[in-house]
Amino acid sequence: MYIFADTLFWVFLTTGFTVGFGHCIGMCGPIVISMSLNLKTGNTVWPHVLYHTGRVSTYCLLGGIMGVTGSFTMVTSQIALIQKIVLIFAGVLIIFMGVLMSPWLTNFSCFKTGTGVQTFFSKAFSLLVGLKPTLAYFPLGLILGLLPCGPVYTVLIASARAGMEAPDIYTGFINGMVLMLAFGIGTIPALSLVGRLAGVGGIKQRQMIYKAASIIMIGVGIYFVIKGIQY
Amino acid sequence: MKLNKKIFPILSMLLLFFIVCMPDVLFASESKKKKQINCDIQNQQCVQPILNGSIVFDIQPKPVKAMKDLTFEVKVKDINLTGSPIIDLSMPGMKMGKNKVKMKMIVKGVYQGTGIIVRCPSGKTIWQATINLSGIGSANFIFDVIY
Repeated sequence: MYIFADTLFWVFLTTGFTVGFGHCIGMCGPIVISMSLNLKTGNTVWPHVLYHTGRVSTYCLLGGIMGVTGSFTMVTSQIALIQKIVLIFAGVLIIFMGVLMSPWLTNFSCFKTGTGVQTFFSKAFSLLVGLKPTLAYFPLGLILGLLPCGPVYTVLIASARAGMEAPDIYTGFINGMVLMLAFGIGTIPALSLVGRLAGVGGIKQRQMIYKAASIIMIGVGIYFVIKGIQY
Repeated sequence: MKLNKKIFPILSMLLLFFIVCMPDVLFASESKKKKQINCDIQNQQCVQPILNGSIVFDIQPKPVKAMKDLTFEVKVKDINLTGSPIIDLSMPGMKMGKNKVKMKMIVKGVYQGTGIIVRCPSGKTIWQATINLSGIGSANFIFDVIY
């Protein structure tokens, strides 16, 4: 029996919505804000759409795997190291963005055009987030969908349970996937709002935001890296 | 339109400030949370009075670790329940989603269920088990978990 019409779907959609405003803003908010502030020109909607699509796709895949195996602990123990790396990666990513946005740091000679550090940061940044075309934000979402997160774990437990109760592996996969899909969709409004708020305003206002955001981003990035090392 | 131009940067700055403060706002200080602990689950089972009886809460195996399959046990003394208890696992002051442990009666007054306490990347280890006793009320046990 598929879970599409089940109340669980709506429960986790609502959970995603409420948790999104209370929890996800803290974890994924800095990443979304960094993205918004770095999207200086062109279409600013599609990168967000693709990022969230990638993130939710990873959630769905994890939910499906939970549904098939019916074991939360077995799967999470297998991906624990990957999640640790992703958490550190996210921190480094935010630090890169913060450094490149910073009007103060780029005044230092080591960050000026043509220097080794600037070239390194620019290349790394291009590789990580500045890729053209916009489609690059999809794989970024796929990777960052693996960020360790308490509420995600909670829904994955439910996905594993849904798999255990399913009559066959295929139904288990679908049920696990659908629960994570519901949760993932539920988190999008909060993160989109954060991205929207960070991305609006005129150039002057954005310059003001850049100044503050660059320092904040570097701090948040360092926090992510430390938590990743400790994880 | 002019209003929007003024409001959005201010909102954005507030949002960024909120995010920077997020670890402290959401996760509060560990020392404050430690004071909330009313159950030494790592070393013993925990007891609370409820109505004219008591409720005993335990988690096995010990040490109680996050991300592991755990067996939760609830014993009620001098209380007649109309149904099996349900445990809600949460973090004090933080939304973690619905994580419920369904219990089954093993013998009269003794209920067991399996569940998992998830790990929060913030590193905070204080968790809360709210035991809902149908038709009677609920009891909160706040304890420390090992990551």
